Amino acid sequence: MNNRREFLKALSASTTAAMMARAPRLGAEVIHQPAAKADSCILLWMAGGMAAPETFDPKRYQPFEKGVPISKILSTFPSIRTAVDNISICKGLENIASVMDRATLIRSAVQEDLGSILHSRHQYHWHTGYVPPQTVAAPHIGAWMAKVLGPKNPVMPAFINIGQRLEGVGESEELKAFTTAGFFGSEFGPMNLPYPDQAAAAVRPPKGMTPERFQSRRALLTKLLAKSPHREYMSDHQQESMLRSLDNAHRLLSAKEREAFDITLEPKEVYDRYNTGRFGQGCLLARRLVENGARFVEVTTEYVPFFQWDTHKDGHAVVEKMHKEIDMPIAQLIRDLEERGLLDRTLVIVASEFSRDAMMEGGPGSTAKDQATVKGDTLESTSHYGLHRHFTQGSSVLMFGGGVKKGHLHGATADERPLVAIKDPVTITDLHATIFTAMGISPKTVYDVEQRPFYATLDGKGKAVDSIFA
Amino acid sequence: MNPFLKRIGLVLAATTCSPALAVDFVHEVAPLLKKHCAECHMGNKHKGGFSMNTREELMKENDDGFVLEPGNSAKSLMMHLITSDDEDERMPPKGDGLNEKEVALVAAWINAGAPWEPGFTFKQSSYEPPLRLQRPVLPAAQAGRSHPIDRILDAHLSKTKVTRPAAIDEAAFVRRVHLDITGLLPSVEILQAYLADKDPQKRGKLVQTLLQDKEAYATHWMAFWNDLLRNDYAGTGYIDGGRTQISQWLYRSLYDNKPYNQFASELIAPTKDSAGFANGIKWRGAVSAGQTVPIQYAQSVGQTFLGINLKCASCHDSFTDQWKLTDSYGLAAAFSGEKIEIARCDKPTGKIAEPYWLYPQLGKIDASKPPQERLKQVAALTTMPENGRFSRTIVNRLWHRLMGRGIVHPVDAMGTEPWNAALLDHLATYLVDHKYDLKQVIAHICESQAYQSKAQSLETDDESKWTYAGPRAKRMTAEEFVDALWQILGTAPGKSDFVPAISTGAAPALSRATWIWINDGAQSPAGETVAFRKTFTLAAPVSQAMAVITCDNEFSLSINGKAVAKSDDWMSPRLVDLKPHLKNGANEILLIGKNGGSAPNGAALYFQARLKQGKEAVMMNSDATWQATAAPNGNVPANATWQNAVAVPAQNNWDSIADKIQQAQAQMAGGGGLRVRASLMKSDLLMRSLGRPNREQIVTSRPNDLTTLEAMDLNNGAILAAQLEKGAARLLETQGADPRTMVDSLYWQALSRAPSAEEKQIALEVLGARPNADTVQDFLWTLFMLPEFQLIR
Repeated sequence: MNNRREFLKALSASTTAAMMARAPRLGAEVIHQPAAKADSCILLWMAGGMAAPETFDPKRYQPFEKGVPISKILSTFPSIRTAVDNISICKGLENIASVMDRATLIRSAVQEDLGSILHSRHQYHWHTGYVPPQTVAAPHIGAWMAKVLGPKNPVMPAFINIGQRLEGVGESEELKAFTTAGFFGSEFGPMNLPYPDQAAAAVRPPKGMTPERFQSRRALLTKLLAKSPHREYMSDHQQESMLRSLDNAHRLLSAKEREAFDITLEPKEVYDRYNTGRFGQGCLLARRLVENGARFVEVTTEYVPFFQWDTHKDGHAVVEKMHKEIDMPIAQLIRDLEERGLLDRTLVIVASEFSRDAMMEGGPGSTAKDQATVKGDTLESTSHYGLHRHFTQGSSVLMFGGGVKKGHLHGATADERPLVAIKDPVTITDLHATIFTAMGISPKTVYDVEQRPFYATLDGKGKAVDSIFA
Repeated sequence: MNPFLKRIGLVLAATTCSPALAVDFVHEVAPLLKKHCAECHMGNKHKGGFSMNTREELMKENDDGFVLEPGNSAKSLMMHLITSDDEDERMPPKGDGLNEKEVALVAAWINAGAPWEPGFTFKQSSYEPPLRLQRPVLPAAQAGRSHPIDRILDAHLSKTKVTRPAAIDEAAFVRRVHLDITGLLPSVEILQAYLADKDPQKRGKLVQTLLQDKEAYATHWMAFWNDLLRNDYAGTGYIDGGRTQISQWLYRSLYDNKPYNQFASELIAPTKDSAGFANGIKWRGAVSAGQTVPIQYAQSVGQTFLGINLKCASCHDSFTDQWKLTDSYGLAAAFSGEKIEIARCDKPTGKIAEPYWLYPQLGKIDASKPPQERLKQVAALTTMPENGRFSRTIVNRLWHRLMGRGIVHPVDAMGTEPWNAALLDHLATYLVDHKYDLKQVIAHICESQAYQSKAQSLETDDESKWTYAGPRAKRMTAEEFVDALWQILGTAPGKSDFVPAISTGAAPALSRATWIWINDGAQSPAGETVAFRKTFTLAAPVSQAMAVITCDNEFSLSINGKAVAKSDDWMSPRLVDLKPHLKNGANEILLIGKNGGSAPNGAALYFQARLKQGKEAVMMNSDATWQATAAPNGNVPANATWQNAVAVPAQNNWDSIADKIQQAQAQMAGGGGLRVRASLMKSDLLMRSLGRPNREQIVTSRPNDLTTLEAMDLNNGAILAAQLEKGAARLLETQGADPRTMVDSLYWQALSRAPSAEEKQIALEVLGARPNADTVQDFLWTLFMLPEFQLIR
């Protein structure tokens, strides 16, 4: 490969595909891109609404007892101490507790109540910063990084999305609507890897094809092109760009970086430490990709309506299982990144579209309809035991690396219901501004679409929460 | 109060945060400046030598010194002027002036450093498109090129001193016009017959023939209209009833070539079948004021039919064109059954929107009428011939599809200047003169020398450097690419996701063919193979010839000695296109049927063909007039004795697929051809990679370029790989393993030309003397990756 700069140039010239997305607007107001604190970003997505009182913001513990009024339930897990004196989290997250001294914990994240709680809609909002529907297709936060920052390693796709199936699951059309680069064009869109253990196949020659055959097939194309009778189109921009894209793709499929996609190459004891299921495998894959220069990687516990964090009944039991699924891999990811000297320049975020509550749907004053599937005023069976309503006014976000303070706590929620953020609330817009700022992207970064400005954060108004940066 | 804002309010109250209010130039300051200062200091007005069009101008020193001192409102002249009590001094001199809140906002803005929207100017572009059409005077024909489009463009080329593009060769024309009108590659038979044809009028005739293929035309253009009307077979909103399809209405309208004014009217003032467009997407829960269903209606009608972008003006008066908040709300109010309060940037204004039409000079909407009546008025105002914007917008879209670039470009910015106004208005008047017949406009363009010219070779995609020098190459759409694969590989799925409910006229219920075997078939030995044949004579070429075939358990079909199709899945009757294999004069159909199982069991074969010659359709059914003979190992012995086939009594297990046979028959009666087309399928990963959009927003042009991630999918994507595998196997079976024939045939099918000697040499080296599945797949892949294949030029 020729030098990096040249390659990058070629890669970005391969499509000015963003048909409508023009270059950043230049004008009177110069946008100063902040100095980046991180070069890579891993978003660990707790899809379906992770209950803060059951994870990172424990409240008064209520054990299961028949006949207890549900109104008495705040948390169904006792709290445990962490590596940071003033931070306790829920039992079941012992490994994460042990790396809390590398983390900033935000306990005052708030989301808008969109009137009717619909996961995919709130996830759209979280991932794009814009409430759907929008008149133009809003880009995913990963697409912003791909667009503004480009790939970190030119052969590595800039935006990789791990763990979410987009076919054959409920609300998949809605998921697709934000798992996209929107008006930026598909050059900046996600490489989707729904199954981490099959990710290697995505960068291998097609099934059953030897590398030799893959190369010779490519050579055949080169030969036929050279003999094409259509010489007059050799310098045609469109033809050139098509061939350049094919070249780039072929390069990744032949590059050494593609080994990063193969988690089976990991030593067994490391693999086992991560392997709590697809999410754990995804964390391992994310680490390997970031080691090899990935820019933005999302790993999700996967959203499937009424599964995983989307607890509408049996909440306690399901969350216990979720603890097991996330606890070890997240802690291991942090330790591994740290050990490899990558944590300082990698921003890791653990977040969800909203929190949950045992009683309250949405938040105080919300008209959203109660969506718990088991009803009752008292605990009659374990199926009643858990946080079965969606709650938008106080959730937790955990951040590591990428210039954030270590062992820091930001914001707080009330100790009694309503468990709303009572100190230093952080909206999605401001949270995005914080993430973008850490990555060296101004929240005011703006592109033109259909002669209108479209900003990285809503109307360019996002304000980074500066106090969490070291 | 808007319930959405109420809730936000609650969030703020509950979280006790008081957000530091940043000054919002776009949404707060600019409208205020415009309201109070525009009359004297914006656009072409600069009273007292002072203009506020741009920040630079505002900051310039003028007669009174500096008007602004950014960061210090107290020291800024502007503050003094807007707060002064002195009548001679106060700005604005007329009216009440700024209220307290407005004054505070200006002060805050100055104190914040007077931020400005980058690149923003209050000055409107000087170009104002005329509303009415102007019938252009045609320049004299040059070099005998008398088609009106050529007269206009040749004069244009003379003026811009650009060389006239050379004509394309016949084969390239056939390929281009097939893909553009029907979305399909030309079959080799059609292409070769065309090349042999000596008729000087053959180009025009081909255009007409293609346009007359109602089904192929409708199916192909479904993709274009689905994008433009944001209709799809799956997508956001359909699941919970927040959105409805208009697929049947749309297909029918295209099939019937409904006049475009009627077509548009039925979307603007819809019936139940066409309402999905007007009703947009209704999301559960609260949405911003700029995305309510009535506002979506205004935006969609504006964009689709008039090339007007009302998205800015759904939130505030537009800064980039003349459209105002009241325009968007006016159209929304015409749609809405309830009163709607105008919201500016999601904040209610207290004003109720009045039904209002965008071009008052054309007429107005009667607010006293019920919504249904009002929509009829909107439809009439949109589609009236005096509304040149309506006809210009659609002819520009068609020009863009056929010629690769709009006359106004991008195609949705219909307020901007066309590169040739005479051409645009010529096409628009042509549409109106021809009673809004879109097919006639397509024919008109395709018949011009301009369309039949070589594609421009562009060095850059920088639109500002572009000048007209011929058509532009177009990337195949996702649907065209996939259809082309299905055509060449024979791998189209058995049925489409969307099945058009077109009964092609009064197609009579087809008689059923008879199941046949060499005997009564009740106790056929396992593995028995029997040959069946039918000979017949064709006096004239057929326009369609499709057959439904199945055999319990397997069959292979040859026509005139050439293998055509085979299947071992007897439960799924195959629909086979016979046409390419038939010739004038004597024809022979040979079917080898094979029984399965491990012990004697029932066996039978079913064949039914429909041949169309002119308006006549002839059926050809398997029955006792067919001949049969034992065919050990699937081979007909040279000395075979043929006997009459025997009608096999119906059995329960064959009746079980009666409905599948009936379905296949219906497809056959519908005209056959390639019924299952990508445009009738739900999107998949391959199509998404090739640029098929999520149809959640209106899409008016697909991406021209292939991106790296998309190219990855073409390199190793599972869908394409599976197609190649199936296709290669099928080619090896049906075309035999002669590599020379295969190379020739694939070049003709994919590229509409013969391979050059050099190309053939390379291909043969790769395929080897005896092509196998791997080498055929690799060769196919290479062909499909050639820009020559993927581009229409």
